[in-house]
Amino acid sequence: MIADGVEDEEKWLAAGIAGLQQNAFYMHRALDSNNLRDALKYSAQMLSELRTSRLSPHKYYELYMRAFDELRKLEMFFKEETRRGCSIVDLYELVQHAGNILPRLYLLCTVGSVYIKSKEAPAKDVLKDLVEMCRGIQHPVRGLFLRSYLAQVSRDKLPDIGSEYEGDADTVVDAVEFVLQNFTEMNKLCYSACQSFILLADPELRLAVGLSGLQGPAREKEKREKERSELRDLVGKNLHVLSQIEGIDLDMHKETVLPRVLEQVVNCKDEIAQYYLMDCIIQVFPDEYHLQTLDVLLGAFPQLQPTVDIKTVLSRLMERLSNYAASSADVLPEFLQVEAFSKLNNAIGKVIEAQPDMPILGVITLYSSLLTFTLHVHPDRLDYADQVLVSYCLKLYNAYSHKGACVKKLSGKEKLEDKKATKQIVALLSAPLDKYNDIVTALKLSNYPRVMEYLDSETNKVMATVIIQSIMKNKTRISTADRVEALFELIKGLIKDLDDAFHDEVDEDDFKEEQNSVARLIQLLHSDDPEEMFKIICTVRKHILGGGPKRLPFTVPPLVFSSLKLVRQLQGQEENPFGEEESTTPKKIFQVLNQTVETLSNIPAPELALQLFLQCAEAANDCDLEPVAYEFFTQAYILYEEEISDSRAQVTAIHLIIGTLQRMHVFGVENRDTLTHKATGYSAKLLKKPDQCRAVYACSHLFWVDDQDNIKDGERVLLCLKRALRIANAAQQMSNAARGSAGSVTLFVEILNKYLYFFEKGNPQITVAAIQSLIELITTEMHSDSSTPDPAADAFFASTLRYMEFQKQKGGAIGEKYEPIKV
Amino acid sequence: MASCRRMLLKVIILGNSGYVNRKFSNQYKATIGADFLTKEVQYEDRLFTLQIWDTAGQERFQSLGVAFYRGADCCVLVYDVNVMKSFDNLNNWREEFLIQASPSDPENFPFVVLGNKVDVDGGNSRVVSEKKVKAWCASKGNIPYFETSAKEGFNVDAAFECITKNALKNEPEEEM
Repeated sequence: MIADGVEDEEKWLAAGIAGLQQNAFYMHRALDSNNLRDALKYSAQMLSELRTSRLSPHKYYELYMRAFDELRKLEMFFKEETRRGCSIVDLYELVQHAGNILPRLYLLCTVGSVYIKSKEAPAKDVLKDLVEMCRGIQHPVRGLFLRSYLAQVSRDKLPDIGSEYEGDADTVVDAVEFVLQNFTEMNKLCYSACQSFILLADPELRLAVGLSGLQGPAREKEKREKERSELRDLVGKNLHVLSQIEGIDLDMHKETVLPRVLEQVVNCKDEIAQYYLMDCIIQVFPDEYHLQTLDVLLGAFPQLQPTVDIKTVLSRLMERLSNYAASSADVLPEFLQVEAFSKLNNAIGKVIEAQPDMPILGVITLYSSLLTFTLHVHPDRLDYADQVLVSYCLKLYNAYSHKGACVKKLSGKEKLEDKKATKQIVALLSAPLDKYNDIVTALKLSNYPRVMEYLDSETNKVMATVIIQSIMKNKTRISTADRVEALFELIKGLIKDLDDAFHDEVDEDDFKEEQNSVARLIQLLHSDDPEEMFKIICTVRKHILGGGPKRLPFTVPPLVFSSLKLVRQLQGQEENPFGEEESTTPKKIFQVLNQTVETLSNIPAPELALQLFLQCAEAANDCDLEPVAYEFFTQAYILYEEEISDSRAQVTAIHLIIGTLQRMHVFGVENRDTLTHKATGYSAKLLKKPDQCRAVYACSHLFWVDDQDNIKDGERVLLCLKRALRIANAAQQMSNAARGSAGSVTLFVEILNKYLYFFEKGNPQITVAAIQSLIELITTEMHSDSSTPDPAADAFFASTLRYMEFQKQKGGAIGEKYEPIKV
Repeated sequence: MASCRRMLLKVIILGNSGYVNRKFSNQYKATIGADFLTKEVQYEDRLFTLQIWDTAGQERFQSLGVAFYRGADCCVLVYDVNVMKSFDNLNNWREEFLIQASPSDPENFPFVVLGNKVDVDGGNSRVVSEKKVKAWCASKGNIPYFETSAKEGFNVDAAFECITKNALKNEPEEEM
């Protein structure tokens, strides 16, 4: 075996094929001229090519297939010969004269197939003879292919019920016996193949038997593993043949076939072979047989080598059975009758006990398969699903306590395993959600939260996200406070920092995304009954308040809006149909809201708190609760004064305050005066002059509200505008002093627009003269030497003038009003 | 040349199958490797032996590859009329077969297409129309097409007769 072994193998294969074809050619000539002697001679020579040891199973198979096809022609010839009067018994004798054992056995099998067909001897005797004679080949590859040849040619001649080859003495039992014997022998061959492969991987042994040590043992081992996996289908084929024998009924399968096959599997003691054969068994036999033989089948698992990958096999079995259950409701009683669930549950427990080194991933895989199974088979048996969760809990607990404190210190590989395990856990816990499409049912699984307990905080979070997604996808209605309580208990990984959480670097975007999903969830919780809804709000509030400064800005706003929704719902109803005491009133909700929003100011998130206070104030306004609305405003003002120091934030906040205050109608004169006075005061105290100016002219709207006749104080409007003008002037002068050039006229144009607004609204304090002089002022400013050119301001002014022109030409009352103004 | 060799025809069945089992079951059972069976067919007063290789199974049980394609006289492509994907796969099956079997004249190699399970649910779950599959067959050199039900045995004999007829058209490959 030298480095370019692959190339050499191609050469050897080509040489083998050439030799085979040459002899096949002479064999064909002999067949055409009915020359039996030559036919046997050349066919034996042709088959000698299969004696090679140089080919890998894959290449050997190519050679074998060519020989197989040629042998079919020979078989036809033998058939014709017997029709021409040649005795099949003589033929059977004759082929045994072939000089070499391997060609001889191939020929014997070929004649044997015709022999059975001729019915001159009982099929079972011929088969028995053949299967025993094949013992003559002990070389693994050659022996396995020879036996698979025997299996193939006898495949449709097995004396099973309904077959034309069934003699009096022949029964299904004989057929089964034959296949089992062949299977047993092939299993041995495959095992010895694997043993020799293992030996060949040992470098010292390689030298001892004259093999080059150049190829690394690891690579050699890999190659051997590959070759072995190529061979295994030859062995597995026998199981397929068994599954196809018609006459095997359930009893026979249960009493004979399955136990015998399993005995072989257990005895072969090789982990990979055992894994493969168990997989074959599960795939080839029908579902109803599996179901009825669960005891036998499952009983074999703990007897396998401790390293066999049982979880995959067992999962595939459960997957098959799940699909079977899903295929038709008619089969479900079978599952109940054989107590499939408890058997599987027990088996899993035993397997885990028998394989103490099974990684946690394996345990999880098994239980998630079982859970899928029970959800398919017993969708109504929540207790089963719950039981799976209990078993799972226990195992997980054992695993973790076993690992002890080192759980967190995982090596690279283990971390990967851990990730896979996490994925599986999520799959396990998602299964009930997918099945029931409804968290409400899953919430009834009392052990569900217990499993969540065992998860590390990372997994807990992932799972919580899955739960929320499920709710949103299915638009699940969660409409009682109890369920909300249970739900928040489940998703607490997202709601607060868990005690054991060690603070990893959390990706900012991930965090935002998960908190946004919590926010969406809060919006979804709803009950039509105000009492219940109020309870829900209180429950949510209780949970989210512990969320800490990073979460509250995400979770408080949806709760506030949810509460305000309830306020608006109540607002439409008759006040207190059940009496003030126990019923939910807007007042009560506002009290809770006040405390809730207050938490934000402590974080501190004063801007957000201010916005929410203003929202609440507006809602209180709509409920005609003056003191409440005033209180909210007071809160907002305190925040403004004490917490909001950034000048930009102040600008934003003051405009929000002005806007909200303008819409309030609940206040009496006194309260209103206090609040507007304050707002105007804040405005004039902003840092930058332009900001001051704009806030002050905005305050003018606080004294003139269209739909409120009692708020039409033209004088104070004018005061605001004049004050704004003074500030604009001051800004201009400051600019002159500091930069040597006047600032832009934008502020003046903006104020002009305010003048025009109130002019049109009919404010008597706004006169034509005032407007006229303002226009002149702007024009002068624009043409002064020190002015800085500002195209945007010029355009603004020009379009304002155009607007006035337009209003003039409109005619009517407005036109008349504008007429005296000279543009 | 009426040699006995020509009485033997090798047929490969690819796709969604279940023909070679005498009793058809809708239940899933995996095949390990290729299933090999013989079937005798009477055609024009002569008895032919069909050597049938059926490959319905999972890839993980096909570890030795597809050397058995070689020397085939006819390839039968089967799809399930109720599963669009199985129809979509016909093209892959055909191309894969031509590559692996490498017949001497791939253009004229005889194929037969079978639409299986026409009986399921009284034909109500059918998703591949006869027109569609016939158009595909026409585009691939007029491949003969049969609608069958392996479960009921409907049209199966006619299909196998056609398979025999087509396999006979395939000239024997003389490799020497």
